[in-house]
Amino acid sequence: MPSAKRPPNLFISFMFWATIGFLYLPLAYLVVQAFLTDPSNVASGFTTKWLAALLESDALWEPLMNSLLIGVASASIATLIGTLGAVGFGPFSTVLPPSLTALIMLPILIPEVITGLSLLIFFLLFRFELGATTVVLAHASFSASFVYFIMIEQLRKLDPNLGEAAYDLGAKPAQIFWKVILPNIVPGLSAAWLLSFTISFDDFLISFFTSGAGLTTLPLKIYSLMRIGFSPELNALSLVMICLSTGLVLILWSKEQSRKWVISGS
Amino acid sequence: MKKLALRLRDWPPSAWIFFAWLITLSVLPFLIILAMSFAVRSDGGVITWTFTLANYERAFHLVYFRVLIKTIVLSLGATLTCLLIGFPVAYYLARATPAKRQLGLMLLFIPFWTNFILRIYGIVSIFGNHGLLNQALLHLGLRDAPLEILYTRVGVYLGLVYNYLPFLVVPIFSALEKFDLSLREAAMDLGANRWQTFTRVLLPNVREGIAVGSLFVFIPMMGEYVIPDLLGGAKEVFLGRVMVEQFFTMQDWPFGSALASILSLGLVIALWVRMRFDQGKTEAASHAFR
Repeated sequence: MPSAKRPPNLFISFMFWATIGFLYLPLAYLVVQAFLTDPSNVASGFTTKWLAALLESDALWEPLMNSLLIGVASASIATLIGTLGAVGFGPFSTVLPPSLTALIMLPILIPEVITGLSLLIFFLLFRFELGATTVVLAHASFSASFVYFIMIEQLRKLDPNLGEAAYDLGAKPAQIFWKVILPNIVPGLSAAWLLSFTISFDDFLISFFTSGAGLTTLPLKIYSLMRIGFSPELNALSLVMICLSTGLVLILWSKEQSRKWVISGS
Repeated sequence: MKKLALRLRDWPPSAWIFFAWLITLSVLPFLIILAMSFAVRSDGGVITWTFTLANYERAFHLVYFRVLIKTIVLSLGATLTCLLIGFPVAYYLARATPAKRQLGLMLLFIPFWTNFILRIYGIVSIFGNHGLLNQALLHLGLRDAPLEILYTRVGVYLGLVYNYLPFLVVPIFSALEKFDLSLREAAMDLGANRWQTFTRVLLPNVREGIAVGSLFVFIPMMGEYVIPDLLGGAKEVFLGRVMVEQFFTMQDWPFGSALASILSLGLVIALWVRMRFDQGKTEAASHAFR
């Protein structure tokens, strides 16, 4: 198709790049702001004192540790359960009723507000104590569906004769799993784990609803600082969060198994 | 043709574990909200499980109805803006080379993987009273006092557009991608001008895909809690805020549940429309090849 190769007209190109500019400007300015001597004056000069102060304060370390721990725990649970689902349903994935697939898709499609509120009520009714545990369960609950879809695809690529071949060569079932199947699905597992971790690490709303009063994660800390008012500490913390999140999404993008989920978003 | 069905008793244990997880932590909480929307809150916040439609009736009382109308107007405005900006963006991507397309999509989505609160804070740091825009306006002498954008309706609108734009670009992009661009060329060759080509050839072919995509942006917008809370200030009452406050400050779970159920119903309708639309497409395709 020669028409597709022709460069798009000026208006279209302008709209695209202007939109990209509009999307990046606020985040880029947050980065700049963290280094301003006076954060409300862009011409006030460069300093690293706010960042240095942040590294000393507990506004960073406790929320960061909580975010990391919750991310690791929820990603591990989600990866385990989602993979179990993919292994169980995988052989039948072409004959699964659409309603079941829709059900698995549901946690991805429901708006976060609804997910967060319904989980909150669920935890309260069943007398869970709100805190790290409930946040981990909440994050793992919908991340498992992401894992499921990534692993279904990964397993589909696996040669079905692989296990049989190993069996013929005398491998025991456990050996087949650990030495033959597992190494072949590691790329999918790591992409799924990392996607779940990133979703958990970036999540605000669901953590906000299910964390109760005592727990702070990085996004929750940023929110509470924002409600108090604007401070250099908030700017420095934002910079740290932007760097970590961007790093994570770039890794996700570099992995073929998780790339398509970066685009459809969470 | 009879389809091979997977019977429940053939499910392996691992499938059951996943399924039980899904039911317990995703379906059950949702059903609880649905059941609670028919319950009553007695004095002291105790919930009595009965069957009443009072919570739904209340949602359409004048006070809440005003909020609903306002929420719809604002969300609709933001959706339309996303469409107007999103269409050329998606068009650019659809016509780009595969490598450029990948890069463009990546650029579009990276900001959406930085934390949501940070995006809101970014908007504040640009459009706030001490933000970059006002600094520039005051410095250039274009205004004497800061332009008040935040903590107004405009602030909420900006926040909605900023946060939902890429999610509308993707459905438009996939609709355009399926559209055979040579049809456009053909229309031009047959003497149609640019405008005619756009309205009579391109739009009718991508209309449904765009409509469904818009619904999927519009409905979550209506449920937004944080954007109106942080960018709209105390005055801007929004449906999502009313809903969330029922659970936290008002302690009226049944009424909050009714609002959540109404919102979910909207989503179910959107899903149904999409499934029907997809089905229609496949049926039309199978007709063409018969």
